[in-house]
Amino acid sequence: MTLDNVKILIGDDSILARKQLKDVILSFGNPIFFEAANGQETVDIYKKESPDLVFIDIVMPVKDGNTAIREIISYDRDADIVIVSSIGTQSQLKMAIEAGANDFIQKPLNADQVHHIIASRFEGR
Amino acid sequence: MYAQFFGNYLLTRDIVTKEQLITALQKKDSQHMKLGTLAIHAGYMTANEVDRIVILQTHLDKRFGEIAIHEGYLTESQVAELLKKQKPDFLRLGQVLVEDGILDNNQLQEAIINYQSESEFDDFIYSDETREIISHLLENFFVATERPLTRYELAYFQLLFNNLVRFIGDDFTPVAPYRAKEYPTSYCVSQGVYGKFTMRIYLDMGEKTAVEFACRYAREIFPEFDEYVQAALEDFLNLHNGLFTVNLSNDYSVELQLTPPGVETPELLTFTSETYLLPIVYPFGTFHFIIEMSAEE
Repeated sequence: MTLDNVKILIGDDSILARKQLKDVILSFGNPIFFEAANGQETVDIYKKESPDLVFIDIVMPVKDGNTAIREIISYDRDADIVIVSSIGTQSQLKMAIEAGANDFIQKPLNADQVHHIIASRFEGR
Repeated sequence: MYAQFFGNYLLTRDIVTKEQLITALQKKDSQHMKLGTLAIHAGYMTANEVDRIVILQTHLDKRFGEIAIHEGYLTESQVAELLKKQKPDFLRLGQVLVEDGILDNNQLQEAIINYQSESEFDDFIYSDETREIISHLLENFFVATERPLTRYELAYFQLLFNNLVRFIGDDFTPVAPYRAKEYPTSYCVSQGVYGKFTMRIYLDMGEKTAVEFACRYAREIFPEFDEYVQAALEDFLNLHNGLFTVNLSNDYSVELQLTPPGVETPELLTFTSETYLLPIVYPFGTFHFIIEMSAEE
């Protein structure tokens, strides 16, 4: 699998969480990363860069993940968004899917789960 | 993992000081278990009998086991059993305290018996921890709150200990919590939980301790107190509180929300509602959880 020229946007207020997710992804490919530290930045960078895939946290300052997802989807209904969050309750999952997310990863981060998500989208490219 | 609770037991009963305990916790992993300590724990010998053998050992060039068999205190099969048996971590801690001269064998024997009868987990000590045992320990542990913990609080602390074991390591000692009206901060982060009830949880520690905490949490080396280290404290809180909301949703159908974690800048925090300070002692340093409770909405 090659991730060359694949654009991945990571929206998480924790610089450590962004680094950990990047490190996992870098272990199986070398995409172009964009990083955002809150929901508003995630929306802004999405509109500017049109990434292929977005990983987004739910609990974030300025604008929470679910609101950001709704704004991204209303801008681009084909946006591919994956939630990465520690609050994996049924109701959160429901809200995220209603907002337009395609997948949900429960923290702590599991490398196999991330690999599955990346491979299901970009394998064979 | 029960060394931390035994350590806490010794502290709360004023049997050891915090400094003595920290020193002993740091030494315990390199400690070679002695047959005498194991025999006391198994109830095969009294502390006085062990002390007598230790004195005899200074005259006779023989092993503890050999003399104990010769003197009729132990049988050969008991010695073999003791050597083969798994060595509980808390006993290692006890032995260090004896070697450091903080306790004698009689005091250790008494502490073990009292601790086990109060905790009632003698039978489980070699088995995996279960929810039930931890919650039982917690009920005893939270005598300081002067009221029974609500089931949500119990679930919170139970998960906190589990998560400390899971993400930071099992070599910690929780010191009995106490009520606080104010708290002078070092590096402090906090997060709010709200919904059916509200609480704010603070995590505070010095920079050196934070570096070690972050290394363990992220399983990476951080050479200095930088933005990654700072983020690790918030991440731990956020992860723990997030998992708490999952548990409460699954177990009690209670839906809670979290505020984004953030840094507390005041040098002195003051609390108006019921607030508890929970010190956690690791070999690399001590940190505090501060839990500000509010009534159910």
